[in-house]
Amino acid sequence: METQEAVAESTPMETDGQSDSKRDGQQKFTLGPNDSLEGKLTYGGHMTVNGGHAEGEFRIGGNIEIGNGSVVKALLEASNVTIKGEVEGKLTARDKLTLGKQAKMNGDVQVRRLQIEDGASLNGYVRMGDFEQQAPGS
Amino acid sequence: MIGQLYIEGDLRVGGVVEGEVEVTGDVEIDDMAKVKASLAGRDVNIRGHVNGAVVARKRLIVGRSGSLFGDVRVERLVIQDGATFSGQVSMGPGASKAAPPKPVEAPAPAPPALQPELEAKVVVPAEKPAPPIVAAPAPPAPVAELRVASKDGKGRPGAAPIKSQPDKKPIKSQPDKNKKKRR
Repeated sequence: METQEAVAESTPMETDGQSDSKRDGQQKFTLGPNDSLEGKLTYGGHMTVNGGHAEGEFRIGGNIEIGNGSVVKALLEASNVTIKGEVEGKLTARDKLTLGKQAKMNGDVQVRRLQIEDGASLNGYVRMGDFEQQAPGS
Repeated sequence: MIGQLYIEGDLRVGGVVEGEVEVTGDVEIDDMAKVKASLAGRDVNIRGHVNGAVVARKRLIVGRSGSLFGDVRVERLVIQDGATFSGQVSMGPGASKAAPPKPVEAPAPAPPALQPELEAKVVVPAEKPAPPIVAAPAPPAPVAELRVASKDGKGRPGAAPIKSQPDKKPIKSQPDKNKKKRR
């Protein structure tokens, strides 16, 4: 249940409205510019890092979006992963990984679909195709 | 075609290529093409099937119909949604220069006089009456490709392995330098 605490701790007051907003029935959790998260997070909803700093291991049931200016050093696992900031670590996207123009990704990647926009930077091994699905939190 | 191919200029592949391809200009791999070769070029655009290492001095684009299996050294990389890609990616300025995957050795410098004939665009046409099934096994190589192979692969055995720029003076010019020094 540490994971629950992690969510509670790093959900800042000012983004309260956002953090529990429902989107396609799933919860969304947002890290703002002044927020940081360290540790292991297992979460069923969507996660957004918007300018914040995150470190650890995140297993997300929904999608992860890492916005411009965010720095994430973590083992990431989610359905759809969209990166516009900087990411270091192993990444698994059960569906699709999108690297935006400003994205910097350092680490091995396992995805089902991959889209890289011009200007993005990627260093690591890319594996594509179907793989054993490990649904987080189940 | 099967074998080594070195081209000064651009290359467009529409058929089957196996071996090693090095191009000073841009490389384009068409939808129906099947390439089982290491590729090196400036801009590399893949819309067909490629199995092999790729070096793009400028940019590598894997189109939505493209598939690429192999390690990649590029300065810039674009992968469109729908493309298939597996391999190690090394990216950034200088990544493509750090270790060009050229197993070609024997730096026999060829006289620059030989090179103009190759500066024309070499287009390997896909002249196959193949059904539009993309997943079909490799069709028999058209005659045109074989001709290209003999012309470019074997026709320039001395020139093929050059990796240095033509402006680097071959051995020929060294005696001149020596003479100048002596004087």
